[in-house]
Amino acid sequence: MKPYPMRPGRLIAKAILALAGFLAVFPLVWTALNALKNNVDIITRVPKAIFTPTLANISYILGRDSVLTGLYNSVVACGSAVLIGVVLGLPAAYAVARYPNRFAGDIQFFVLSLRFLPPVAVAIPLMVIWLQVGLYDTLPALIVTYSLLTISVIMWLAIPAFQGVPKEIEEAAFVDGYGAYSVFWRIALPVAARSLIGAIAFSFVLVWNEFLIALMLSSSNAKTLPIVASELSQQGMNVPWGILNASVVLLSLPPLLFLGVLSGFLNSVFRQKKN
Amino acid sequence: MSAIVCSHVDKAYGATSVIRDLNLAIEEHEFVVFLGPSGCGKSTLLRMLAGLEDISGGEVSIGGTVVNDLEPGDRGIAMVFQNYALYPHMTIFDNVAFGLKRQKVPAAEIKKRVDAVAKTLGLEPYLGRKPTELSGGQQQRVAIARAMIKTPKVFLFDEPLSNLDAKLRNHMRVEIARLHQSLKTTTVYVTHDQLEAMTLADRIVLLKDGVIEQIGSPAEIYRRPGNLFVAGFIGTPNMNFIEAMVGKGKDGWTLTGAGTVLSLQGGDFHLQHGDRVMLGIRPPDLKTAEAGAGNLLQGTADLIEFHGNDALVTFGSGGKEISALVPARECPALRAPVRYSFDEESIHLFDATSGASLRKQ
Repeated sequence: MKPYPMRPGRLIAKAILALAGFLAVFPLVWTALNALKNNVDIITRVPKAIFTPTLANISYILGRDSVLTGLYNSVVACGSAVLIGVVLGLPAAYAVARYPNRFAGDIQFFVLSLRFLPPVAVAIPLMVIWLQVGLYDTLPALIVTYSLLTISVIMWLAIPAFQGVPKEIEEAAFVDGYGAYSVFWRIALPVAARSLIGAIAFSFVLVWNEFLIALMLSSSNAKTLPIVASELSQQGMNVPWGILNASVVLLSLPPLLFLGVLSGFLNSVFRQKKN
Repeated sequence: MSAIVCSHVDKAYGATSVIRDLNLAIEEHEFVVFLGPSGCGKSTLLRMLAGLEDISGGEVSIGGTVVNDLEPGDRGIAMVFQNYALYPHMTIFDNVAFGLKRQKVPAAEIKKRVDAVAKTLGLEPYLGRKPTELSGGQQQRVAIARAMIKTPKVFLFDEPLSNLDAKLRNHMRVEIARLHQSLKTTTVYVTHDQLEAMTLADRIVLLKDGVIEQIGSPAEIYRRPGNLFVAGFIGTPNMNFIEAMVGKGKDGWTLTGAGTVLSLQGGDFHLQHGDRVMLGIRPPDLKTAEAGAGNLLQGTADLIEFHGNDALVTFGSGGKEISALVPARECPALRAPVRYSFDEESIHLFDATSGASLRKQ
C-alpha cells in the first residue's frame, strides 16, 4: 500500500490526536517521574524533567506496614469479590439471557438499581449490619459488600454479552448431544469471552478504586489501599508529594497488571492463525 | 429404520397457534421439502422434529421411537442451520469432531472419520482454520460435514442455502442432491425457494399458516395443484387466474370471464351451471394462436420481459392482467395486439369461494 500524501487536513488531525494522547499520558508520566524525585525537585518553581532519581519515596511506601496491609487488604478484598462476582454473576447472567422467565426483566432492573443508589445509601445500612453482626472492620465484611457490586456489574454487562452469542450455535451444540451446562461451559463462555473479560476487568477496577464504602466499613484492620493512600496526604501542612506520587503509582499498578494478564489471555485464545 | 411420523401435531405459543393438527409420514430414505411462505410454520415444524421446540400436542416419532420428550442429542438427528452456526472459537476439525467427542469416540477414530468426511466435501485444506477464515460456501460445507459425521438417522436442513449468493446456491444444491443420492439418509429440508424444493424433493409438503395445503411429488404439485393457494404459490412466472361463470354449452361447458367466453369439454372437472370458478392457466401453457383457433385470450401487449429463450408478455383482457410465456422469436412488439389460446388439458379450475380444485380424482 502506498502511504497517503500528507494533506493539511490529515496533518491537523494527527496533531490533534497527538495532543489528546499527550493530555492523557502526560499526567501519568509526570506522576511516575515525581515518584522518583526528591521533594526539592518537585516543589521547584520551574518543573524539572532532568533530576537525580531516588527510590526513597518508593522504599518509604513499601516500608510502611500500613501500606503493605492496605495492599494486602485491597488485593484480597477485590480479588475475592471479583471471583465471587464471576462465579455467581456469570451463570446468573447466562440464565437471564438464555432462559428468561417472567422475572427476568425485574431481575435486570433490580441489578441495575443497585448501581443507581448513591454508595452512601448502601454503606450506612451495611455499616450498621456489620457492626451488629460483629464483622465491622474485617475483610469478610468488605468482601461480601464488594461482591454485591461485582455481581451486579458483571451481571449487567454479561447479559448482553451472552445474548450476543448466536442462538443457533448453542442449538447446534444441543443437536450435537450436549446438555445445558456443557453448552454454557464449552460454547457460551468461550464465544462471549471477549466481552465477559471486559466486564470482569471493569468490575475489578471499580472495586479497586472504591473509596467511600471502604472508608465506612473499616477503621483500622480492613483499610484498603485507597484509604491508606489518602491518609498519607493528611500529615499536616508539609505535603510529602513524592510519597503521594509513589503511592499513586503503587495503586495504579495492580489494575494495569490485571488488564495486562487478561488481554494476554485474550490474545492467546483469539489469535487468528495466519495463512 | 428412520421413518418420521407426525400425528396430530400442534404447536402454540401461548394463545397463538402456529401449527394445527398436522399429520405427516416421511418414509425412510425419502427427501422431503417443507415449502411455504415465511411464517407458515415450516421452520417451527423442523425445529420440533429436531427437539429445539417443544411439541404442544400430538406425537412425533423417528424410526419408530416417540421422541416428544427426547433431547435433541438423543433423537438420532443432525441439523444444518441457515447461518451455518459453526462454533467460532474452534477449528474446522474441532467443529466437525465436536459431536463425536460427546459420544466418547476414541481420538484415533475421530481423526479417521473427520478426514474421510473432509475428503468427501473437499475440506481437507481448511481443517486447521477457524470458521471466520472461510467463505460462506465453505462454512456451509463444514456445517454439512458436521451433520454427516454423526451418521444420523435423519438430516434436517433449515434453509441452508439462503445466505449464499445465487451461483453458489445452485452449486451447493447440486452437492446436497448428490450427497443424498450416495448416503440415502432420510432428509427433511426447509426452504421458501420453490426452485430448491422442485429440484431436490422426492415429495414436497406445502404449508400455509401451520396447515398442510398439499403433499406430493414436485410434478404432482405442479401439474395437479390441489387448491388455489398451491396453484398460485408454485410455478414461476405465476399462474394466471381468471374469475369465470360456468354455463352449459352446446357440447360441453362455457366459461364467461375476462371479457371473453371460452368453451370446454369439461370432462375432467366437477362443473355445474352457474358456478363461480377460478380458471388457472400457467403462462407457458398459453400459445400464440393460429388462425381459426378457439378459446382465445386477446389484448394489447402492455409489458414485455425478455428472459433469453423466452419472453413474458403481459396483456390486459377484460380488465384482467394475463401473462404468457412465449418463445422469444414469437415475441410481439410493445402495444401490438396479441392473441393466445390454450389446450384444455393444461387448465386448472378451482371453486371461487373455497379455492378447492374442481378436478375429478
